[in-house]
Amino acid sequence: MSQSLRPYLQCVRSSLTAALTLSNFASQTAERHNVPEIEAQSSPEVLLTPLTIARNENERVLIEPSINSVRISIKIKQADEIEHILVHKFTRFLTQRAESFFILRRKPIKGYDITFLITNFHTEEMLKHKLVDFIIQFMEEVDKEISEMKLFFD
Amino acid sequence: MLLLDYQNVLIQSVLTERFSGAPPASIDQTVSDFDGVTFHISTPETKTQILLSIQIRCFQDLVQYGAEEVLQREYGQYVAPVEPGFDFSVMVDLENIPETKEERDALALKFALLKRNAMAAPFEQAYQEHYQLREEASKFTSEEAPQGVQEGGQVKAIHYREEEAIYLKASHDRVTVIFSTVFREETDRVFGKVFIQEFVDARRRAIQNAPQVLFRNDPPLELQDVPGVRNTGTGEIGYVTFVLFPRHLTPQRMADVISHIQTFRDYFHYHIKASKAYIHSRMRKRTADFLQVLRRARPENEEKERKTASGRTFKVQGN
Repeated sequence: MSQSLRPYLQCVRSSLTAALTLSNFASQTAERHNVPEIEAQSSPEVLLTPLTIARNENERVLIEPSINSVRISIKIKQADEIEHILVHKFTRFLTQRAESFFILRRKPIKGYDITFLITNFHTEEMLKHKLVDFIIQFMEEVDKEISEMKLFFD
Repeated sequence: MLLLDYQNVLIQSVLTERFSGAPPASIDQTVSDFDGVTFHISTPETKTQILLSIQIRCFQDLVQYGAEEVLQREYGQYVAPVEPGFDFSVMVDLENIPETKEERDALALKFALLKRNAMAAPFEQAYQEHYQLREEASKFTSEEAPQGVQEGGQVKAIHYREEEAIYLKASHDRVTVIFSTVFREETDRVFGKVFIQEFVDARRRAIQNAPQVLFRNDPPLELQDVPGVRNTGTGEIGYVTFVLFPRHLTPQRMADVISHIQTFRDYFHYHIKASKAYIHSRMRKRTADFLQVLRRARPENEEKERKTASGRTFKVQGN
């Protein structure tokens, strides 16, 4: 792991752990609805300040917390045309399988390559620290995979 | 790396089997090859007479560049009246084939090379043109050579696929072969670029004798006045130029060079597709790994309440 990657991932890990304090929260605007507030954006008082962690201009993570859901968007490093295509293909491949990934959002936020959406129901069912582990491992391996695929090409 | 064969393997195996002395049987097979070429191998009259017909999109182009003579030279006694719906036919009589196994195999191979031989005609013509021009050019110094010798011959176009063509241009010091190839999507274009870059590098690095390879997205200058060359400006069509120098143009090497260059497009696209397939299988594996990690986040199923045979349950003390 390179020198700058470790603190970057460490920072993402602690910010995520802090953001993943979710509770059940029924919608204030529609009766008998319970939606991820970060997606609905209907009551500003339950949204928290979004946070960007950037390693450099090409690699960054956006964490958008709210009372019952957290959105994590990742921008993967793309140095050239080939990497761009590989990242695009890979993220598309993953989002098409969003069903089995539970926390994967079907469409990334604009400006990012892949987005996860974790709601209070996910944290109730799954272990929180393992979810954080998953996101961190995902970030590590995605970079590795892309550079390996690129190496194969050259 | 995989080098594609020049012959049609299916035709070769069918004929080898027939020639091996097996009892004659009736055959009626349609065989496809690259570039939309169709073969029809059949026994129309008797089981011993095998008729092989070929249909090529660009046969008109090929005839114009001397395909008839080349095929006549290659197949001579085997040439048969053309089967309706096809462009060229050859016929072999099983009662009248060479004795030894080697000769028979060679004959089967020769028939399987039908497409290669038909497509070779314009290349051979370009070679001849090059020899002629070189002869003429040797009479002049480079400054005073008349326009025609300097410029080289006409551009020969072979429209071997719907939107793709090979262009040949002979001149006194080289023969230029230009492939136009269509990339259906952005990914192909980028992958193709990487491959072509490899060709360019190969020349720089180790293989000094390799022909010069150029790649561009707009029609090269050689094709400026050729009808049917479109400049879409989208980069969808790529032009790959091979420049064959005199050392590739010796008569001894002609056959090899023609065979290799003909399979270029198939080779090129085959590798693009193969890389995509490889990437896909990698992504599949990696996705499975990620799912595994995510599954670990689910807590283990809590142990079910255990009962004794008599129906009493265990209870933890102090609960």
